[in-house]
Amino acid sequence: MEAQFETDFWKDAEARAIWDDIVPGAPRKTLPYTLTLDAIQRYCRSVGDLHPLYFDEEHARKSRYGGLIAPPSIHILLMFACTPVDDWMRSPGTINAGQSWSYNKPARPGDTITLAARALDKFIRKGRLFVIHDNVFFDQHRDVICSGRGWTIRPM
Amino acid sequence: MSDFFDRLAPGDAIEGKAFQVSRESIRAFCEASLDYNPLHLDDDYMQGSFGKTSFGGVIMHGMTNFGLLTRMLTDWAYAADAVHRRLETRWLAPVRPGDTIRPSGRIKAKQVTVKSRWVTIDVEMKNERDETVARGEALVEFPQRDATSP
Repeated sequence: MEAQFETDFWKDAEARAIWDDIVPGAPRKTLPYTLTLDAIQRYCRSVGDLHPLYFDEEHARKSRYGGLIAPPSIHILLMFACTPVDDWMRSPGTINAGQSWSYNKPARPGDTITLAARALDKFIRKGRLFVIHDNVFFDQHRDVICSGRGWTIRPM
Repeated sequence: MSDFFDRLAPGDAIEGKAFQVSRESIRAFCEASLDYNPLHLDDDYMQGSFGKTSFGGVIMHGMTNFGLLTRMLTDWAYAADAVHRRLETRWLAPVRPGDTIRPSGRIKAKQVTVKSRWVTIDVEMKNERDETVARGEALVEFPQRDATSP
């Protein structure tokens, strides 16, 4: 999956909805994604998190989780892994103003993750164009992994 | 016999580990998160104006703050056999290559509900100039001792 990921966010920029086009309530297109141990550990290293629940199989097996898990904040990766190139979250200049997330169960290596996502609201404040998006990630059992909202300032 | 939850009190501090921000750490976060927004990669682009905001150079992902706050909270919760349940944050100032940021938390309140026990924690992230760059609130669950579900 990562090998095919388009890292040039300018490409396809014209295909993405701008603030004027975004319809609160309308679902965003999403893609299923198989979460690998390699992707989990790459994310963990990027924030300096080497907790044995993410790296030590024996430690994790003896824990309340019974095996390796992903950290709660793995949704940071999942947001881009589960959305297509024309998703407006990729628009260059998108500024993250804040987020809130609730966690139900941990994601695990090998999980097939799906995302239900939409813009929830949009407004103008102090000359800035805001969109609130909400998101729910599910595993292959349709159990909720986590749910969250984000506030972004859209490019002008 | 009291356990860890019983001994917690409002005002108790939680200390996170310092994190040095560099172009390399930002690049690593791009690769790990798949967030390749030019805000984090392209100095020329960042010389421009973003509505009412001008950055003058690349900035760290706001979500790196989120990941580092999560690491502090999970390190604390796992050690107490507790479960990190919620994190809400706002970004107050940009973080740039060369900055060193450190998360911290302070117990705000304890709550016992019908089925579980909860701790609300004020969290923040400061840079080396003691400026607060992110602030928020977290919720950690301390399951009853006979509960096993994560």
